[in-house]
Amino acid sequence: MEISTKIKESFPSLEPKECPYEQNGYHLSIEATKSNIVDIARFFIKEDFYLADLCCVDYIDYLELVYFFSKHDKLLRIKVTLKIDPEKPSAPTISHIYNIAHWFEREIHEFFGVLFDGHPFMVYLFLHDQIDFYPLRKKQVPVPDEDKRLLNSFKPEEQEDGFFLNLGPQHPSTHGVLRVVVKMNGEYILEAIPVLGYLHRMHEKMAENRTYQQFYPNAARMDYLGALNFNLGYVTTVEKLCGIEVPERAQYIRTITCELNRISSHLLWLGAFLADLGGLTPFLYTFDDREQILDILEAVTGSRLTYSYFRFGGLFNDVDDNFVDGVKKFINRLRSRFSMYDRLVTGNVIFINRVKDIGVMDRSYPIRYGCSGPVIRSIGIPFDMRKHEPYAAYDRIDFKIATGTNADNMDRYLVRIQEMENSLDIIEKALKELPTGPIKADKIPKKLKPPKGDIYHTIESPRGELGIYIVSDESDVPYRMRWRVPSYSNLMTFPELAKGTLIADAIATLGSYDLVIPEIDR
Amino acid sequence: MCTLDNIIQIIGKEVARLILGLIGVLVVVVVNALVLTWVERKVSGHMQRRIGPKEVGPYGLIQPFADGLKLLAKELLTPANVDKPLYYLAPVIVFIPVLVSFIVIPFDGFLQVKDINVGILVILAFSSLSVLSILIAGWGSNNKYSLIGATRSVAQNIAYEIPLLLTLLPVVFMANSLSLRDIVEAQREGWFVWRWQFFAFLIYFIAATAETNRTPFDLPEAESELVAGFHTEFSGMRFALFFLAEYTNIFIASAIATTFFLGGYLGPVLPGVVWFFIKTYFLVFVIMWFRWTFPRVRFDQLLNFSWKILIPVAFANLIVTGGILKL
Repeated sequence: MEISTKIKESFPSLEPKECPYEQNGYHLSIEATKSNIVDIARFFIKEDFYLADLCCVDYIDYLELVYFFSKHDKLLRIKVTLKIDPEKPSAPTISHIYNIAHWFEREIHEFFGVLFDGHPFMVYLFLHDQIDFYPLRKKQVPVPDEDKRLLNSFKPEEQEDGFFLNLGPQHPSTHGVLRVVVKMNGEYILEAIPVLGYLHRMHEKMAENRTYQQFYPNAARMDYLGALNFNLGYVTTVEKLCGIEVPERAQYIRTITCELNRISSHLLWLGAFLADLGGLTPFLYTFDDREQILDILEAVTGSRLTYSYFRFGGLFNDVDDNFVDGVKKFINRLRSRFSMYDRLVTGNVIFINRVKDIGVMDRSYPIRYGCSGPVIRSIGIPFDMRKHEPYAAYDRIDFKIATGTNADNMDRYLVRIQEMENSLDIIEKALKELPTGPIKADKIPKKLKPPKGDIYHTIESPRGELGIYIVSDESDVPYRMRWRVPSYSNLMTFPELAKGTLIADAIATLGSYDLVIPEIDR
Repeated sequence: MCTLDNIIQIIGKEVARLILGLIGVLVVVVVNALVLTWVERKVSGHMQRRIGPKEVGPYGLIQPFADGLKLLAKELLTPANVDKPLYYLAPVIVFIPVLVSFIVIPFDGFLQVKDINVGILVILAFSSLSVLSILIAGWGSNNKYSLIGATRSVAQNIAYEIPLLLTLLPVVFMANSLSLRDIVEAQREGWFVWRWQFFAFLIYFIAATAETNRTPFDLPEAESELVAGFHTEFSGMRFALFFLAEYTNIFIASAIATTFFLGGYLGPVLPGVVWFFIKTYFLVFVIMWFRWTFPRVRFDQLLNFSWKILIPVAFANLIVTGGILKL
């Protein structure tokens, strides 16, 4: 591989190992050391890789930091591991190279106790300061005193040159329990600091305490708006890990229901975004449309919000003609509604003035922050996991990817509207080609015991790239399950984007991300 | 003795008229607010594909009473760190200018508490006072959202009072009087809105929407940014007074527009007071229509719109009108 020789040239001491992509979900694996990890990160950012994920696994004898570097323009994922001593865990920070590492490292610090040398702001991200152990360590390790000092949750201090304003956790614009502490000077924002953890439930720890089957419902609880997509992400990852083949019909139904779910998520975003801008009426219109989807999905999946419809190897139950008719009717209905939304919202002068050229990202954002989904597509990068790394039936269906050009709030709005229309096309095509046959693979064991190994798998959730990293030790319980959620990386661009803007603009920008806080907090 | 009796009698008559008038005004204010809350709920409901209140009474007509009773029965919660005198005073102060403005509005040829020959000045002077109460509320609440809302309100009111005044002046020129009744009577030959003052009417209406803090100019209480702005910390009857004042302000703004541009109580067949209310409530409906269809403008856009567009246009209109009248 080309990149492999390049790495060898730059780092003679490294030995890149080629890995079977079908099995692991990454192409290369590299073992780094503390002395060269910073240089490796520098090398990757020069080669236009983004940091997809950074997580830690406790192998008792040693802790392993796992860095995933991926590319936007072609399918290439490289796993870099760094072994560290569990007694006094520390590693050099790469937060000055990849901005998103700033938050990933804070997360690892509170869950594993790994100290990152040179990290500017090593305080708790999710947990509160009363927790005196590291939750994701396999053996209970108490928090040492010098660490406790660092673990205090964030408390802003009043200063002379500005004042602090809490946006959240109880605030109409944060859609849930996000808290952003903004330092303001009059109406202008000097600094914005997201404070997370108000909805933290530690799904990653829960995964280590239950079998693969028992974890089904947890996926839907992370992103309650894109529940089916999260459900699919989890199911496909485990299927890939175990090598389970899924019947064609199931793949198509998965595609259809996931796209319906995507539309319902985008519709809710549309209403909420406009409510953020002060227009309250569209919210009820989009809810009306969304209600139709919920009705359709309820008849099939049995639930309206936190679906747990997919099973390893197939589906929970088959769809019938009522479903097909209902979806066809809904497609016609929504298409006629889009022209109305376009007339009423897109052309409104006040709306245009509020969103055009506000919250503009440049092309370095996706590399530095790893943001994904409509946020990255609004920059003009056609990066969509459905095309980039196809799953379900997406490689058999021809569809367009909506992209923007200006990377402002207007483009993020237009991209999502366009995406809903594209989703309708996908559903229409998939319905036309919907094959007959079984909906479930045979011989799925009651107790799933995947072979030893690890896998990183991604899907496109309504908010962007959802990555799931599972380490299996051949038991029926995952050894480690890591969720890389899209809203997380998207939100972290906010502090930089909000700096120097008016508070009203910052709230419009925050709304344009389509954040789902339970997904970020996990 | 005789003269003294006469004086008492005369003063008594005036006082009696004022007292009766004030009671009448209070009734109108309260009933108007009750009606408007119901109308707003129905209007917003129908604009949002809902039907609005329907359970309490026929068509939900008793709903405002239920709401009012609920607000009356609520505990008056005072947050711990508020500036108590200011906090208590603000809801009262917000209400006084509203009452005074009603005194000079001619509901009909004879239905007016008192026709003052500087009527419009009284209204403008007192409506400027409402911003003081908002500032007091924002400062006294000891809450950052409230304070930001209050400061926004001050800047906004200053910016929009100027076009408001500038658009009323040409009408005063044409009617040759500051008395509201004279202005209405001057429209017997035709409403001012059709007699060269269409732009003035338009600008007045936009500025009045901003003056009353309604969407798209509801920045002092911008929900998605400032929670509830200056009245974040107010609950129960104190909140109700702000609410009452807001609806009464909408009514007054519409009533002035009716008086100055739409011929006030003038109209065929129906009695004048009916015409007055039809015209006023139509304008109130339009303001509600704005609220449920438009998003909110940004603060700098709001100020730019006033200083760079509304004020120059209003000035030009004033100069042209004055010039034509002089010729």
